[in-house]
Amino acid sequence: MTKVFKWGFLIVLALFFVVPLLAMARFAFQSVPVALLTGETWLKGWSIDPIIAASTEPAMWTAARTSALLAVFTIILTLVLLLPLAIVTEIKAPRMRPWLTALTLLPWVVPPIALVVGVSVTFRTGAPWFLASVFSLVPFYALWAMPFTYRALDAGLQAISARTLYEAARSTGASFPTIILRVILPNMKASIVAAAALTTALVLGEFAFASLLLKETLPTFMVNFQQSQARAGLALALIILIFTALAIGIVVRTLRRRGLNVQTTGL
Amino acid sequence: MRSRQLFSQTNSDTRIGLYVAIPFVLFMGLFLIYPTVAIVGSALSPGESGFSLIGLGNALSGSYRQGFLNSTALAATTALIGGVLGLTLAAIMRSLDRPRWLHSTLDSWSAVASQLGGVPLAFAFIAAIGTQGLLTKLFGQLGIDINDFGISPTGFWGLVVVYLYFQIPLMFLVSLPALNGLRKTWREAAALMGASPTRYWLRVGIPILAPAALGGMLLLFVNSFAAYATAYVLDPGGALVPLQIRFLLQGNVISGEEDLGYAIVTWVIALLLASLFLLTYLQRRTLRWTRS
Repeated sequence: MTKVFKWGFLIVLALFFVVPLLAMARFAFQSVPVALLTGETWLKGWSIDPIIAASTEPAMWTAARTSALLAVFTIILTLVLLLPLAIVTEIKAPRMRPWLTALTLLPWVVPPIALVVGVSVTFRTGAPWFLASVFSLVPFYALWAMPFTYRALDAGLQAISARTLYEAARSTGASFPTIILRVILPNMKASIVAAAALTTALVLGEFAFASLLLKETLPTFMVNFQQSQARAGLALALIILIFTALAIGIVVRTLRRRGLNVQTTGL
Repeated sequence: MRSRQLFSQTNSDTRIGLYVAIPFVLFMGLFLIYPTVAIVGSALSPGESGFSLIGLGNALSGSYRQGFLNSTALAATTALIGGVLGLTLAAIMRSLDRPRWLHSTLDSWSAVASQLGGVPLAFAFIAAIGTQGLLTKLFGQLGIDINDFGISPTGFWGLVVVYLYFQIPLMFLVSLPALNGLRKTWREAAALMGASPTRYWLRVGIPILAPAALGGMLLLFVNSFAAYATAYVLDPGGALVPLQIRFLLQGNVISGEEDLGYAIVTWVIALLLASLFLLTYLQRRTLRWTRS
């Protein structure tokens, strides 16, 4: 491969990634219609009013609050379900590990629409209040993020050789709760942060479940809002994009600093 | 005596493991296994009239067959193009030592972009290649109508372009470890024994990379087959499988069509499950060389 080809390829790809974002930013922050864009007008009409329009929309804050609460509850549910299980599996019952690896991948196989339909058929008769609440999204999100969150936690346990730490602590006389609270958990901070940030990014961007269950979260609000206020909608989308990028960026940096290799890929 | 103690120790440890697993198993059962089984069950007994494969057959006929064909074509095209471009990107990055910042930037960016499917991405491409898009206008001034090439966000090639936005970074991320698994010493060893670079690639490089590359493309295939939000925002009425399922199951049509929806879901689950098994197999083949 010649140098020209290499750099040509990189530049074209960089343009492919950057130009749509710039186009979105221009559409959001410049009031000149595309048809009137010329050499003279391309500097005119820029303003941050769309951000103000979006941020003074009370429904936006309601939706944002919903999404934030959903993220927090999903993180809590994920950690309650997976953290003790991952730790105990690693230090006490390693034979369960292949099962857990396979089971946590399964949510990946069932499309969101199928889960929503299956669960609503199940709950409609027994517990209709469940689907009426916006927080019925929490278990779906925990499930949907599981392939990533479990792997983040598991990679953390592998990287600190949790079993060796456990045995070392036990041979110096530490009790089981002490080992968990003072040895294992402090060492897992990075992967817990990573799992939480990944969950946040996924919840902030999730559209399918919320739209199918007719709940107003940030992404579903955004789609409706964009139809009535095109530019403010795009400005909002851009801001959410940046937030998501930051959340995932935190994951990547935290994990890399610890030398962890986590698959953040898929889905 | 000792071995016996060890045995009972292991046994009680496993029991603790099983206790901790109870909430997890209940959760998975309630929210994943039971709904899935319920759907597959109703797909196999349409109209609650006993076991029948008619539903599964209907799900692959008429406009639903077209939906599967469209989704498969879209997924395969983006997997192939995204796979080749992502692999090329990984190969280029591996051969470049400088600039250092490019590596870390691209790594982080890929992790971000590979997750960027969804509403904001769809908006970005509407702003770029929609009818009022910036690029549409730019090319229009050069006398090129990009719609002539089928590139509008609602057309097939437009969707391909949009999906490539997250497919290329995803392929980059999954193929990087495999490329790093190709050790320099192998190349030197092959050269020492008189193999030409072509021969080295044919006999060593490609056979070792192939499982990773195929696995990566399979991941891309699954990724775009199940993608929902982007397609929904760009073309809600589009003939893609996830959108058709939504249409059938959201009560937009006369009742009785739900069984058809369940049957389509069953096909999708079967397809994704098969891909997952194949993927696991390919990953095991890949690990043989990347584990060091």
